[in-house]
Formats: sequence, C-alpha cells, structure tokens
Amino acid sequence: MTTGLHRRMKLKSDVNDNELLRLMLAGDEEALSVLYRRRQGSVYRFALQMSGSRSIAEDVTQEVFLFLMREGQVFDDSKGTVGAFLLGVARVHVRRRLRAEHRLEPLGDESDDDDVFMQSTSDICPLEDLTRAETIESVRKAVLSLPPKYREVVVLCELQDVSYGETAEILGCAIGTVRSRLHRGRALLLAKLRPAADVEETESSTVRCFA
Amino acid sequence: MNCQRFETVVSELARGQMMAAEQRSEALAHSDECDDCAARLGDEQMLTLGLQSLASEMESLEAPRELEAKLLEAFRAREVVVPIAKRSSSRYWLAAIAAMLLIAISVVVFRWSNRPAEGPRQLVKQEEPKPQINDKSNEQFARDVEKPDVEDSLPQRPKPKRFHPVTPRRPEVANHVTKEIATDFIPLSYMSAASLQQEGGQIIRVQLPRSALANFGLPVNMDRYNEKVKADVLYGVDGMARAIRFVQ
Repeated sequence: MTTGLHRRMKLKSDVNDNELLRLMLAGDEEALSVLYRRRQGSVYRFALQMSGSRSIAEDVTQEVFLFLMREGQVFDDSKGTVGAFLLGVARVHVRRRLRAEHRLEPLGDESDDDDVFMQSTSDICPLEDLTRAETIESVRKAVLSLPPKYREVVVLCELQDVSYGETAEILGCAIGTVRSRLHRGRALLLAKLRPAADVEETESSTVRCFA
Repeated sequence: MNCQRFETVVSELARGQMMAAEQRSEALAHSDECDDCAARLGDEQMLTLGLQSLASEMESLEAPRELEAKLLEAFRAREVVVPIAKRSSSRYWLAAIAAMLLIAISVVVFRWSNRPAEGPRQLVKQEEPKPQINDKSNEQFARDVEKPDVEDSLPQRPKPKRFHPVTPRRPEVANHVTKEIATDFIPLSYMSAASLQQEGGQIIRVQLPRSALANFGLPVNMDRYNEKVKADVLYGVDGMARAIRFVQ
C-alpha cells in the first residue's frame, strides 16, 4: 500500500504546480503532499531569512499552505507562478507576524537606513573571509537588520535566487523598483559588514574618484 | 566609463548578472584603471560570495516533517466539512425555491379570488343533491369531530345534499367545503325530511359553542368544551331555520 502511494506520488511529481493546485482544490490529498514537498522549502527559508526565527518560519509555512487549501482558487496563473504566489502570501504573513511582535518598523521609514549604518557589527572585517562560519553568521545578521523593504528584495534576489521579474510579482512593484532596492540593500549590507573606519575611508575615496 | 556610471552597474557586475557585453567590458576596464572602483568591485564580489555562502548554508533547511502531517490532517478535516457545507447550501436552495413557489401560488390565488364574479352563472340554482337526514351519519360525525387533527386521514364521505346559496360564493370557500366533514342535516322544526328536500333554501355557516353539540344528542369532549364548532344552518324561503349540520 505504501509502495503504491509512493508510486502515485512519484507520478504526480512530474505534474506542474498549476495542475497540482487544481487537483488539490478538487480534493486530491496526494497533490497537496507533492506540492507541499516541492514548495515548502522556499517558503520556510524565506520566512526564516526574513524573521530570523524558526518558530515564525514554521508558523508562516503552515499558514501559507492552509491559505492555499482555503483560498487556493484566488491564484491566477496569468499573473505569475504558484511559487511566486506562495512567496507573496508568505511575505504578507511574515510582515503580520513581525509587526505583531514589534520587530518590524513602519514600512517606508527611511530613517531606518541610518540605524543600519549605526549598527555596524564588529571590529573585525567580515569581508576578509566570508566563507568562515562566523562571517556567514555576520551576513545573516546584517540581512536581518536591513529595513524590511530592502531585506525582502535581498532575500528574494540574493538568497532565494528569484528573478527580478518574479520578485516584482511577489512584491507587487515594478522591476525598476526591485533593481534600485537591491542596489540600495547591498550598499547597506556592505556598510554594516565593513568596520567603521573603513566606511569613512571608502566614503571619502568615493567622493574623490571621478576618473 | 566614469566612477558614477560604474557605481550603477557594479552590483550586477559582481553578481554576474546578464548585461551588455560592451557595458561589461567598459566597467571592467574602468576598474582596472581606478583603484577605488576596483576596491568597490572587490567588496561587492565579496558580499556576493558571502550571500551565496549564506544561501547555500540555508539551502538544506526545510520545515519540520510534522508540519506536513498537520497540514494533511487539516486537509482531511476540510474534506469532511465541505460536503456538509454543500448539503446545507442545497437545503437553502430548496427552501428558497419552495418559498418562491409559495409566493407565486399565493399571488395566483389572490388574483383569482379578486376577479369579478360571473353573475348569471352564480345566480342560477344548481342541481345539487338535497340534504339527507340520517342519525347514523351523525353518530359517525360525533366520533370524528372529537378526534383532533385527523381530518385528512379520515375516509371521504359522500357529499350530503345541500342547497346552493343565492349569494356568490368564492371558489376557495367551495374548495374548503369539499374538504370538510359534516353531519347530515338535523331538523330544527317539525318539518319532515321529505319537505326539506322539496322546499330548498339557503345555508348559512355559523360558529356555535361546542356545548351546542349536546343539544342535538352528540357527545362533547369536555377538554375542548370552550372551543367553537362550525355549523351550517339551513334556512327556508320564509327565513326560518329549518335544519342544522355540524362541520369539522
């Protein structure tokens, strides 16, 4: 019986997300199982990278798929992929959770940028060896300290490897906005990961350089 | 390419994003000439490396296994709930259709009852069987009238003879009469049954105290003593009451 179930699930693993969603909404439990196994990782990681909390990531993942069960019919394949749809739902839930836990400052508050510069991490320069575990942890913390609107772009484009187009679908903005936010987000990350003295030096040198 | 222009493309250059070959070569050439921009590109490449390391480290992270079990359980619970919701919605539809039918029938009946009476036909005395006086059927009525709410289950009795009223009668009244159970006419005067059948007259529907049943030798249910009972009174052409029958 278990073998039969695995065989059916293997067959369904060849089915695309749209068809799996349709089958799931028609009551097919295996379709849900296959779709969940295919998409839960990116949803969980996105929530974890956005929140830095495993418990929030678990809750968000659960809420995203419960939403898919209840409201899956609202998905419109002409507007994007199922994966992007799920990440969009996850984004809403993450923001809600973070807002509830007072971890998220009001959106669009540019004053956050200054705070990020002030929160430079340690005296050692993480850029010297970013492959080390502690440096990866520094990068993770730096990402988490970004203002949300930059954080979500960095997470999607850099950590989730989502294209600019899909990121724009998920965030509901223009591709140009994604590009500019990513550029700004990366600049903020560099500023956080660089020692304070180095920041001053780089800023002054950037002003000088017009070659 | 100058430093400002370089700044706009340095992130994508470091990330290895698709960009025009000419633009890419110009940017690389500028970084070879400008030490600051070369350092800037180096920082961006290190940041890209750091982000890639973080991404690869987190790539294997997944939601706990028990979460799938919870979701599947919720899915099954939802599957149980859905048919109930469907059933209840179909029930609402049936109720709505029944209500609409009821309204439509009411409108038809209302219009039919309010249409002008067809005078000549109503005024003609119809050939109907005349009332028969039979004490045996009265006893049967007495039994029937004391049984509450059994009207529909009782066997249909042959229609007693009655006189058609001169005044127009509404159709629903006639329909209602056909569903009623009545005793035979009980004479109220010294007239014989034969003379009643020959004379004709008019029937008036009245309501009497249930105790009136006792006056005609019919049993009375004391539990319903205060209730009214319907009766048809037969009046002769001289306006005198000739006979009475009780109706249920």
